[in-house]
Order: sequence, then C-alpha cells, then structure tokens
Amino acid sequence: MVKYHPDTRFLTDYAAGSLPESQALCVAAHLHYCSGCRAKIRELTQLGAEFFLTQEPEAVSDDSFDRLWQNLQKQETSAARQTHPQQESATTPDTTKATKTTTNSPKSAQELPQAIEKLTRGNINSLKWRNIGKSFRFSNIPLGEQSRETTLFHIKAGGNVPKHHHGGDEITVVLKGSFSDQEDHYHVGDYIVRTSGESHTPVASQDEDCLCLASLDAPIVMNNWFYRVLAPFFNRPTAW
Amino acid sequence: MSAASHQNFGQKSKRVVNEATVKWSNLLLKVAEHDRAAFEQLFVKFSPLIKAFANKQAGADKGVNMSEELVQETMVKVWQKAPSFNPEKASASTWIFTIARNTRIDLLRKNARHFVNKATSIPGNDQQDDGFDVHDIWIENEDEDIFNQLVKQRNSEALHEAMKALPEEQSFILKKVYLEDKSHSEIAKELQMPLGTVKSRVRLALNKLSLSVDR
Repeated sequence: MVKYHPDTRFLTDYAAGSLPESQALCVAAHLHYCSGCRAKIRELTQLGAEFFLTQEPEAVSDDSFDRLWQNLQKQETSAARQTHPQQESATTPDTTKATKTTTNSPKSAQELPQAIEKLTRGNINSLKWRNIGKSFRFSNIPLGEQSRETTLFHIKAGGNVPKHHHGGDEITVVLKGSFSDQEDHYHVGDYIVRTSGESHTPVASQDEDCLCLASLDAPIVMNNWFYRVLAPFFNRPTAW
Repeated sequence: MSAASHQNFGQKSKRVVNEATVKWSNLLLKVAEHDRAAFEQLFVKFSPLIKAFANKQAGADKGVNMSEELVQETMVKVWQKAPSFNPEKASASTWIFTIARNTRIDLLRKNARHFVNKATSIPGNDQQDDGFDVHDIWIENEDEDIFNQLVKQRNSEALHEAMKALPEEQSFILKKVYLEDKSHSEIAKELQMPLGTVKSRVRLALNKLSLSVDR
C-alpha cells in the first residue's frame, strides 16, 4: 500500500506539463503504482482542458489546414510504400517494449514504470553502475536537464546508503523492495521528499534488495557525498 | 411550481453541454474513419486554441515561435491517434488538450536539447537524447483501474461555473499553471512570492473546485 504521495504542487505541475523532466519522471514512477493519484491527475488534466477552452482563440494562417492535409497525405503514401499497414505512432513503443521484454526477463517487465523499463530494457544489470562500498550502487540517468541529477540506486538487502546530508531537496521513489530511515519504513511506490538540511541513513530491508529512483537538486553542496562521486562524470557524455 | 421550472432549466442546460461534448466526440470518431470534413471541423474549432496555448507559453516572446508548428504537429497526432479515442474515457477536449500539452513538452525538449548541444558543441551529439519519449513520462493511455473508481467524468458545465466563481488571485495563478507552462517555482519567482503562497493559492482554488487536494 502506497503511503507517501506527491503533493498538489507536483501533481498540478505534472498535469499542466510544466514539471521539469527529472521530477516528472519521479511522479510518473509513483503514478505507476498509485491509482489514487492517477485519478487525481485525470481530474487535474480535465481542469487544464477547461482552461484551454476558455482561451481567446488566435487565428491560424489561411493555408494551415491545407498544409496539414498535404502533410498527412504525404505521410500516408510513404507509409503505404513501406508496406507498414497504418501503424499508429502511439503503439510503436509498446510493440518494441513487448519484444524486448520477452527476450529478457518477462516477469519483472510489468513491475517497473514504463520509462524505467525502457531504460533498463527489462534487466537492471544492463545499466552502467558505480559501486560505493559493498551494498550500494547507483546509475546516473542522463536527462537533457541541467539543474538536477537523476539517478537509480540499488541497496542490497540489509545494506545501507552511505550517510549523507542534503544540500538541496531530494525526491526518492521506491521501485522494488523497501527501506527504512530514522522516521519510517518505505515501500514500493512511496514518493519521499527530503528537503535541504536533513540528514539520514536509509537501510534496505533484510529480506530484499531495494531499487529506487531519485531526483536531486543541483548544485549539490561540496560536503555531499553524491557531489564528490558524481562530479567527475558531470561533463562526460554518458552512454547506456 | 418554481422548483419544477428550476429543475427543468437545470436539465436543459445539462443537455446543451452534453450536446457540445457529444458533437466533438462524434467528430473525433468520424476522424478515426478518415473523414476529412469532420477533421476540418475539429481543426476550425481547436487549432486557434492550440495556437493561443503555444503563444502563452514562457519563451514564446523570446523568439522561439512554435505556435504554427504546435498546431500542425498536434493536429497530425489527432488524426493519427483518433482510432484510439474512446468517448467513454475522456471528452474530446480533454483528449486533444492532452495531446497538445505533450506535443508542447516534446517541442520544448527538442529545442532545449538542440540549444544545449549547440552550446556545449559536442560533435555529432545532435542525435543524443535520454531515450525517453514524452509519452514514457506523460502517459497518454487511460487505464481501466481509474474508470472503475470514478463513476463518470465531472460535469464540464459545473466545473466551468465553479471556475468563473474563483477569486481573481486564484484563477490568475491557475491560468499561469495551466496555460503559461510555468511551474509553481517559476510562478513564485515571477510574482516574487514564497513558494508556499503559490502552493496554498492553488490548493485553495482546487478545493473550491472540489478537485484533488492533499490528503
């Protein structure tokens, strides 16, 4: 049962489409596990559509529809020529995903949020990981965005995250397993926000490895272990 | 007597709204069957709204003019995705708004990436991206789970009336959130007010609209 949810600010910005990608990825991960928040997003999106409808319309150029129509005709003839019988662009990623997951590990395939599935291609070991100590490793997710670090981290059963201090805020979403800190125990789907100045030592539960998605505010202060670890990689184009 | 006529009026206005909703939905269903005339009618209604939506977004006045591009790209997707439209699940306007919103995110990401790549000038880096499509993060497909929870969509007219009744400072901020593509933090910065004030105004507004608020 998901206990920690994104607040109205995150949900509204997500529904409006203005939430920066790193945080939006965290919200999307939470939504994967939380139908209650999905229902909220649906309402908030409907509200967005109502505001959209109240706008003062702005005339488009006269030939706009004709250009659009020609464009569509062109696309359809070239699609027909490639003997692709009208494949929806929306269904394409799903098809590739399905093929990929069957070749890898089909069972874990539905467990993770769509974007994380795409990233890991059904196998988290396909990512490039950096180890810190024996039980903790992380893999940086390169987003176009510069202001935040986005990372997957993995704690072995019973292991802990090195003690660290938050310079900026940090969002964590539990994807697999569970972990605890001084305040509570967190389960799959929980969306946890830590603000600047808090210090904690998360520990994974004894019986299961824990996989989390995190989004960290940058610039991270110098005494933060994350900064020291990530700094050498900031400017390196990452391939995965 | 007066109560009865009140009720009649209520029913009548409800029917008018439903007619409009049904009209756009039916047009979309025809578009799914490649009906050009239906598509043109939707275009006449929605493209000026999409253009307005594009022009309001932050950065529109900074020489990044993507309004016609957003109209074209959104309407291409409306045509292509129309077969997946289900009037039981969403109204036509919410469905089109979602596509316009995602297309806007997509165009902004492409522009930003192009800009970043240019700035750092890593050769051959133009194609590099994080591998996510916008719909990996902003999921478009509605799932069954939610429809079992919610009996039906909120009455569009009732929501509209409630929106009109919002205090100016609250609707002002909601418009920034939804139409100007500004996050809570960006709004706080622009209006030089604490983030907490922006948050509480949005929350108050959503409360008045009987929409989602924090548990």
